[in-house]
Amino acid sequence: MSHPLLSETRTASPVIGIRGRLFAASMLGFVALFVVGLVGLFAADISYLDADAFSRVLRSEDFRSAIWLSIWTTVVTTAIGLLFAIPMGYALSRYRFPGHALVDSIIDLPIILPPLVLGLSLLVFFFQTFVGRWIHSNVIEFALQPQGIVLCQFLVSASFGIRAIKLTFDGIDPRFEHVAMTLGCTRGGAFFRVALPMARRGIVVGGILIWTRAVGIYAPLQIFVGDVPGETAVLPTAIFLETSTGDIEVALAAALLMLAMATVALVIVRVVGLAQR
Amino acid sequence: MIRIQNLNYAVGNFALQDVSLHVEPGEYFVLLGATGSGKTLLIESLCGLNRIDSGRISIDGVDVTAVEPRRRGIGYVPQDYALFSHKTVRENVRFGVKLQPSADRERLSIDDDPPEKTVMEMVGVSHLAKRSIRGLSGGERQRVALARALAIRPRVLLLDEPVSALDEQTRDTICRELKRLQRDSHTTTVHVCHNFAEMLTLADRVGIIDSGRILQTGTPQEILQRPVSARVAQFVRAGNLLTANAKSAGRRVELTCDGGLRLTAAVADPPAPDGKVTVMLRPENIQLGAAVPENVAADTTVIEAAVRDVLDFGPTVKVTVAVDATVELHVSLGKKEYNIHPINTGEHVFLTVAPEDVHVMPQ
Repeated sequence: MSHPLLSETRTASPVIGIRGRLFAASMLGFVALFVVGLVGLFAADISYLDADAFSRVLRSEDFRSAIWLSIWTTVVTTAIGLLFAIPMGYALSRYRFPGHALVDSIIDLPIILPPLVLGLSLLVFFFQTFVGRWIHSNVIEFALQPQGIVLCQFLVSASFGIRAIKLTFDGIDPRFEHVAMTLGCTRGGAFFRVALPMARRGIVVGGILIWTRAVGIYAPLQIFVGDVPGETAVLPTAIFLETSTGDIEVALAAALLMLAMATVALVIVRVVGLAQR
Repeated sequence: MIRIQNLNYAVGNFALQDVSLHVEPGEYFVLLGATGSGKTLLIESLCGLNRIDSGRISIDGVDVTAVEPRRRGIGYVPQDYALFSHKTVRENVRFGVKLQPSADRERLSIDDDPPEKTVMEMVGVSHLAKRSIRGLSGGERQRVALARALAIRPRVLLLDEPVSALDEQTRDTICRELKRLQRDSHTTTVHVCHNFAEMLTLADRVGIIDSGRILQTGTPQEILQRPVSARVAQFVRAGNLLTANAKSAGRRVELTCDGGLRLTAAVADPPAPDGKVTVMLRPENIQLGAAVPENVAADTTVIEAAVRDVLDFGPTVKVTVAVDATVELHVSLGKKEYNIHPINTGEHVFLTVAPEDVHVMPQ
């Protein structure tokens, strides 16, 4: 068994001369520059802070609530995001219909739009349109509610998952499903028994993309659900609030804690989810 | 038995056109055609993976044209095998068995052994049962794909270029095994390939497909010796194809080839029309000697020629001779025959061709 972090597989390495070595060095140079720059940035933050800043974050009721709110909303968002991204990615990959290119482009819109605009659009929809007001009054309240956080995160991040999962299904030859159908599967059976398990790694990547995008947003949340500490303030919102009141140390300490949690989560998901079977 | 009647199916700017053929029960039928001739499209249509535009497909007398792939009783091995990489070898072979209706599952079991076990033993992959698909060689993958298709005891086995990705030695071994398996299981088999030698090894009957049309069906010898057109003759490596003017004379046809060479052919069934025709002389049907053989029949053609080239292919020797400035002929000799009377480049030789070995086709 091998996985991306503990790779045991050996890739083909042809005999190369000095030019080949220079080429490899220049490619790897970019990797080094980026990683060293990023790590240096966070190292500077750590050196700037003392233990007290971290302890103030962990002791703060508001921060603890923001951390918990961030965790559960992003997990729910990722689950709902995958619930949409898997069938959508599959449908866009396997079926051709009139307006396919247009639909494909519309799905990419949240990737291009500033997240703030999505927050504004949600406000307009739920308070200025008949359908939005009806949903708000009769079905579910989103504005100023934690479920509004999930809605914002979902709209901003789902496109990344859909795109990744569509590309994964594009890479799986439909012939696998065809063979399954000759062996006794229905169309749906072939999807669940063959295409879906084969797309596992792409689905994990899609989930990671949805989660990483969802966990960092705060601009549309401030507009649509507000930033009430202990109620609707997620971790990025709380960090923003601390920065605006001038408590840079606490803001930075909270950001680094968030980074550490995210790194641990991503490593676990990568090791478990992307392992070759 | 498989019967395809007037099948039409268009995709992009390619179409299967008015395809009709039948495969007898227990027969090993090879569909031979070049890349892009429509072989895979036809086999996928048989599987029910293409909704055909018109025509009818029946298997064992049942019209399956509108039947889903899973209910057609077909074992399908696609070109790249399409093994499920997230499953082990045993899970791959067992895949279809689990999906059969429970009544059928009993039918699949032999001597209380689960069907996948019996099939894996039969195909020779039992020792790979727990292995992942990723580490298998080409030959092993081919066997696993075959075992997976056979495990559901299909009425019809459809093999799409099953050995074309394998090296020559493995290909020969697998071809022999395929033939043995088919003979033992009496499964009606359609095998698609572009390799002439593969067709000769396996086929009970063969169909030649080109540009979406079936050009000819028959036994390998029928196709080899009596192709219906120059196109089919090219497929079966006719060796010598000449353009000639034909004139019937009783039970014989007198042929004047371009370049002046004159030949006598026996009247074919059905007879080719007089006028412009294509003439096929198979290299193995031409006799070659240093002198005119004695007691030659009156209507046997004797041609004087000069040896241009001698190529030793191991069991056979291919000799190219020039009849005149424009006509070259290829002659195939057995190694034993060649060793008794060796031929050298530049030598003058005499070719004799019996009328029955001159095959005339309409242009």
